[in-house]
This record gives sequence, C-alpha cells and structure tokens, in this order.
Amino acid sequence: MSDHTVQKHTAPREWLAGTLFLLPAIVLFTIFVVYPIVYNFQASTLDWDGVNPGRFVGLGNYTRLFQDPIFLTTLKNSGWWILLTIIPQALIGFFLAMLLNEKLRGRAIYRAIFFIPAVLSPVVVGIVWQRIFDPFNGVVAKLGRATGLDFLVHGYLADPKSAIFAAIVVNVWMWTGFSMLFYLAGLQLIDSSVLAAAKIDGAGTWRTIRSIIWPLLRQTHLSLLLLGIIGSLKTFELVYVLTEGGPNHATEMLPTYTFKQAFQLQSVGYASTISVVLLLIAVISSLSMVRAFGSGFLTGDEK
Amino acid sequence: MIAAFKQANPDAKIDATIFNYPEYLVDLQTRAASNTMPDIVGLQPGALTQQYRANLMPLQDCAEKTWGADWQKKFYPIGIEQARMGNPAGDENFYTLPLLVQTVNLWANTKIFDEKHAQIPQTWDQLKATVNQLNGGEYAPFMLPAKDSWLRNVVFLQIANNVEPGLVYKAEDGSDSWTNPKLVEAFDYWGKLFTEGIAQKGAIGLDAYPTGANQFEAGNAAMIPLGAWWIQQSDPTKTGLPPLSEGMSGYQPFLFPTIPGGAAQPQLVGGIDVSLGIAKNTKNPDLACKVLTDWIAGAGAQKLINTFNDLPAVTGLNPEKFTSDRQKQIWTTLTSDWMPQVKYSRYLKTPQMDTALGDALSGIATGELTPQAAAAKVQAEQQKVNG
Repeated sequence: MSDHTVQKHTAPREWLAGTLFLLPAIVLFTIFVVYPIVYNFQASTLDWDGVNPGRFVGLGNYTRLFQDPIFLTTLKNSGWWILLTIIPQALIGFFLAMLLNEKLRGRAIYRAIFFIPAVLSPVVVGIVWQRIFDPFNGVVAKLGRATGLDFLVHGYLADPKSAIFAAIVVNVWMWTGFSMLFYLAGLQLIDSSVLAAAKIDGAGTWRTIRSIIWPLLRQTHLSLLLLGIIGSLKTFELVYVLTEGGPNHATEMLPTYTFKQAFQLQSVGYASTISVVLLLIAVISSLSMVRAFGSGFLTGDEK
Repeated sequence: MIAAFKQANPDAKIDATIFNYPEYLVDLQTRAASNTMPDIVGLQPGALTQQYRANLMPLQDCAEKTWGADWQKKFYPIGIEQARMGNPAGDENFYTLPLLVQTVNLWANTKIFDEKHAQIPQTWDQLKATVNQLNGGEYAPFMLPAKDSWLRNVVFLQIANNVEPGLVYKAEDGSDSWTNPKLVEAFDYWGKLFTEGIAQKGAIGLDAYPTGANQFEAGNAAMIPLGAWWIQQSDPTKTGLPPLSEGMSGYQPFLFPTIPGGAAQPQLVGGIDVSLGIAKNTKNPDLACKVLTDWIAGAGAQKLINTFNDLPAVTGLNPEKFTSDRQKQIWTTLTSDWMPQVKYSRYLKTPQMDTALGDALSGIATGELTPQAAAAKVQAEQQKVNG
C-alpha cells in the first residue's frame, strides 16, 4: 500500500476521532450557550410574562428599550463601572503584586488576606458594606463624627449622585485581590535574567517597572481588561444587595434591571431584550479587543 | 406542619422546598414553563396569583367541602377580598386561599420610651415632638428602612389612608387621580419624613431586612415601620432571643399617627402575607385540598401559628402557648382589635403601579421629585396600566 493511500484512509478516521472528542463539548455548548441565546432572542420579540402565552411585537421591545431612560442610565452606569473598576483594580493589584512578589516574611498570609474579599459571597459583602456606609450608625460615619471629617458622615449609598461610585468602591475592594493574583502569576513568568540585565545596565526600580515589567505583562493587562468588562456587565448580586439599583435607579445596572423586568414586573419579553443587548455589548467588546490587540492574550501565543 | 399533617394522615408523602423570595420567583416561572408546577404553591395576592392563574385550580369547592357553605366567614374580610384581587371581570373563583395575613404598622421600643418618659405618638405633631425628644441618643428616634420599595409603599399607604381613607384605591381604579390634592398632600407628608428630620440620615440607603430589623432588635431605634409579623421575633421555638424580643418585652405596636386635616382615627392597612394554591394538573387534588386546608386552619396551621410567624388568615386560631402577658396582649391587639377591621390593602393591584409608586417615593426622598411631580408620574403610569 502506498503512503498516499495510507494518508487517504487515516484522514477521515482522524477527522471522525477529532469530531467525536469534540462532540460532548459541542453538545454542552449548544444546549447551555447557543440555545439560551436563541431562546432569549425569540423571547425578546414577545410581550410575554414568562408563564402565559405571549404576543408577538417584533422589534417593538427594542424600540421601547432605546427610549427607556432607565436603560440609558444602566448604560451610563456600566460605563462608569468599567472605567472606575478596571483601572484602579489593575493599578492597585499590580502594586500589591509587586510588593508581595518580594521575599517578604509572611507574604503568603498577606496574599491570602488581599485575596479573601474575592472569594466572599457578594451578598455578604453587600450587607456588610451597607452597614459600613450607613450615615447614621455605620463605621465610616462614626469615624467621621469622632474625627470631625464631615465628608465621612455623608450617606453615599443614599445619594443618587454618589451611590454608583460608592458601589464601585465596594467592587474595587472586592476584586482587587483577583487582579493581584493575575499580576503575581504574570510576574512569575518574567525571565529573571531580563531583570538582572536591566539592573546591570543601571536601570532603577521605576525605570525597570515602566520599561520592562509593565510591557511584559501585556497579556495580563488585556486578560484583566476583558474579564473586567464582562464582569462589569454581569454585575448583579453586589448592586442588588447594596442598593437594589436605587436610590431611584441611580445604581441600576443591566442585570439588575433585567431581573426587575423579568421577575418583578412580569415582563420577560422586555427583560430578554435587555439580555440580548447586553450580550451584543459583551461580544462587540470582546471582538474589538481581539481585533485591536490580537488573540494572543486569550490563547497564550505571542500574537 | 408536614409532621402535624402526617400524624393524622400517615400514608401521605409531602416534599417541601423553601426558597428565599427572588430565587422562588425564578423557580416558579421555570416550573410553570416546564409544566412541573408543585401540587401546592405559595403565592402573594394580586399580580403574582394572576400570573399563575391559568396553572391553578379554583379552590372554593375544596373550601366548601372542608369547612361548609359559609366557609368565607372563617377568614378575615381583607383576606377574602384580596384573594381574588386582579381576577378578570366575572371570574369569581378563588385561585388561592390566604394562609397568613398581617397589618402594616409601626413598632415602638418601649424600653427607650420608658427611659425617656416619652409617649407613643398618636398624631403627626406628636411624632415630630417625640422624635425631637428622643434625638441625640445612640439610637434613631424613627428608623425608616426606605431602601426597599415595598416598605416605602406600605408607609405611604398608611399616610395616604390617614389623609383621605380609601382615596388611593380610587386613583388606582381610575375613578379619581393620583394628582388629587389629598394624595399630593400624602406625598408631601412622605417627603416630610426626610426634610423634617423625622427619619434617620441615609434612610433611603437602609434595607428593612436584615439591617433595619437587626438594628431595631439590637435597640438602635425607638420606632420602626414594619408590620404585624414583627411578633415572630418572639418565636418561642427559637433559642438565644435578644432581650427586647423575649416575650415581646421591648416592643409595642401602634398605628401610623393621624395627619392634620385628615381622618380623626388612624386607618388600618394590611392584607394577605402569603396564600396557597393548588396546581391545576395535580395528580392528587383531594390530598392537596386536605393539606392546603389543614395548613390554613388545621393541625398544620396550629404548628405555624405557634411560631408567631404572622397572623393566621382564619379567625379564632391562637398560639397554644404564650411566653408572656405582653406577647399575649400584642397578639390580641393584632388579631382581635386590628385585623378584623383592616379595610385598606397594603398592595396595589399591579406590579407596574407598585414600581411606579416606589420610584416616585424614592424620588421624593432624594429630593429629585416634588410631591406634585411624583403624583403626576404615578398618574401617568396609572393611565398606561388602565389603558
């Protein structure tokens, strides 16, 4: 038998074997990802309470959505959330990672302490921080009254102008440890000979961080950026417990508004519309990032 | 409750699942969509019951079979009225029957009041004076957990019914308007809770559960708006009760103070806490009927009421054991004096109006809306809902 014949016979067999190995993942992906997306899109074309037969409204829900001031507020809040969450988390996480990458006594304990908030239940975090921020009886207010720092006595969660930013502060507190962990992992991957060479060449700490370490952590930055965008768009429990989207929708996010429409206002069709838009935003963000920066940060390749 | 039923019916098998409320709504919708409704389901009156009406069987035959032709007289009037809230015109079926009912009212921390020689306020001016008198302590004179929409709404409904009894419901059905000056006045008095320093600082950021309730139970507030269900804090089946909650020693319920120029007496607002329904496609309708009626007025109900969870939907059902005279006095006030007289619903008929009202009250609380603007917004939504 010739090589060509052998290749001809093994190629379909390899294809079949490959397909069979992929099949479980494809089936699960279809059932748990593709089907809900299609279902959501179908539901978004209905005026439907989720239980009784719905009424087809075509793109009517979408027209209504883009004129809905609360939806526009959720977009604005998502924008703030992404901007004011990702950057501080990255900077503080990087700073902590740099510190805790050094041979410090008890650094494992410090790493654990900074990471603990990321593994706490968002419900617990929300309840505790609500009490911390309570201007009547909370820790922050009591500190303010004791020290004369009046700005600490303000009801940040009760003020529509500041509530979203107070919620963002809590979110940064909660997830900075996660960024720290990513940067720690990234720092381990930097070749120590590069850092040694920089030292020999006379580069100071700040120059080394700026010109060598920070650029070499490119994939970590991009991973955190993508995860941060998706995580921000998905934020639900923390906001729901902290403020329930209030006061007066000032902290409403896409998922909290979706929940209210679906389960409190019995408007599953409209809620599905919000979900579809949320999905589109997430997909467009991800694809834009891949287009701008290449897919290397996802696959681990150089580009 | 299951054990109590099974004692008399040993062949019965009952599986019960308890959820927290948001997860419950998700589960219920999923079950309805997948045609896997449980035999017996707990629902709130109005919109939630109506949403599942097509999945529920009418219960009046079950009720009549168990309790006789005049079975409706067993229940507090507001419970019967609310059980059919939202039924389409001409549909007189009971798709759910009330399990527990409640008033919405205020509670006073009597230890603080005694220490300060203060009187529980009966009028708005007395409320203001009492708050002034109690100011300056480590506790809030009037703790208003206004983050929760449901709580904002029940406080407003108490105010509105004290301003002009029943007017809110006329605005709801379209025979009057939310912009009626009396309702605008009610919105104004709601706003005064914040602008006149009655409610504590940051009230709109505080939730009723767990934070507000914990604070009140810990003695950090002299007054709080909640409802009859607060008596459950003295549940004798629990151990390690805070001192104030032991036998209700530190609490006294009272009605929202009267408003100047309004009704001479405070009005009673309340309704169903939770109802039970039976799935239309249950494979065990007779057993489901037996369980449902037992849990409402039988041995199972007695077990529930013994925990003081809330007030029974049926009259004459009392806990088998009281842990103090105070607890018994409060129970009697709630079940014999107040509940039979509750005329005004603590619910609006649709979730859209509940949300619109809650948003309007939040807007007033934060200063973003005037009472007039708030009333106009609510009226606009009411017109949409009424078509």
